[in-house]
Amino acid sequence: MMILLSQVKGLRVVTAEEAVELGTVDSLTLDPATGGISRLRLAHGGRVSGVAWPDVRAVGPDAVIVSSADTLSPAPAQDSGRPEVVGARVLTELGDEQGTVKDIGFDPVTGLVQTVYTTLGSVAGEQLRGLGDYALVVRAG
Amino acid sequence: MDTLTLASELTGRPVVTLGGDLVAEVKDTVFDGLAGRITGFTLNGRGLLAGPLKESLPWSAVHALGRNAVMIPGREALAEPAAVLPPGKDTGGAVVGIRVLTDAGREAGTVRDVVVEPDGKVAGFQIVAADALDHRRRTVFIPRDEALAASGQALVVSDDASRFVAQDLPSFTAQVENFRARRAGHPVGKEHP
Repeated sequence: MMILLSQVKGLRVVTAEEAVELGTVDSLTLDPATGGISRLRLAHGGRVSGVAWPDVRAVGPDAVIVSSADTLSPAPAQDSGRPEVVGARVLTELGDEQGTVKDIGFDPVTGLVQTVYTTLGSVAGEQLRGLGDYALVVRAG
Repeated sequence: MDTLTLASELTGRPVVTLGGDLVAEVKDTVFDGLAGRITGFTLNGRGLLAGPLKESLPWSAVHALGRNAVMIPGREALAEPAAVLPPGKDTGGAVVGIRVLTDAGREAGTVRDVVVEPDGKVAGFQIVAADALDHRRRTVFIPRDEALAASGQALVVSDDASRFVAQDLPSFTAQVENFRARRAGHPVGKEHP
């Protein structure tokens, strides 16, 4: 099972405990060390906040359900310098550019990235090596 | 052989960690005494840190020299400037501008640029040809002789090497392969007239 970031973007984020709408999905933050999503970034009236992936209960076709309103936290400082994943430059660990990120396909249950779609093709999630202020680095080949 | 690059084209190339962070850009490429390989890079900062950096990047800490970036494991790869200085005192630094002579005593030209391989080896030199080598005095590429001698004043290449001169970088790749095959005693493919 795989879902695309482009399908999730804009979905309402609703709490399971209070049935309160916290905002809409704006983007996500990747943890290349685990190859998975670390946070969902939410947009809410111009403010940016986030929910850690373990607090996400379900990613459905019409909404994202998170545990409670308490899970909402301001975007951490280390996120501020992070580039938007979509549009990020893709660089192999050998220093060759491979286009830019178009979309991210991930498992909505585990949050593991399965495929990174780039302007030049696709890269398997296991090949992720690092995401920094300059590029998404992937293993070659 | 992999893609060859002119050392001058490395200037400005971003230095990026495997974590995807930009830490610097290449200022100059430093070669060892015999100009046989890259010993490292001096660096410029980027953005707010633009301008020469105190730190340098020794070749031993380079993960990969790519077409679009120099990859390093992390910021800890940067070292003090002495780490990239060549061992000899009068041999390092400026290769560009020195005279190139063949071992038969012919003047081949002056060095304009250094051609490097992705593994840091010097494949050859881009030189402004002297009359004896090319009477039209074009810019040509000449392979580095394995038995090259170099000083601060001149570079001596095998007289053979001038027969493998190429006009551009893609054809130079083939010429270097021919040159090496010949030196290794293998049958030679097509030689440059």
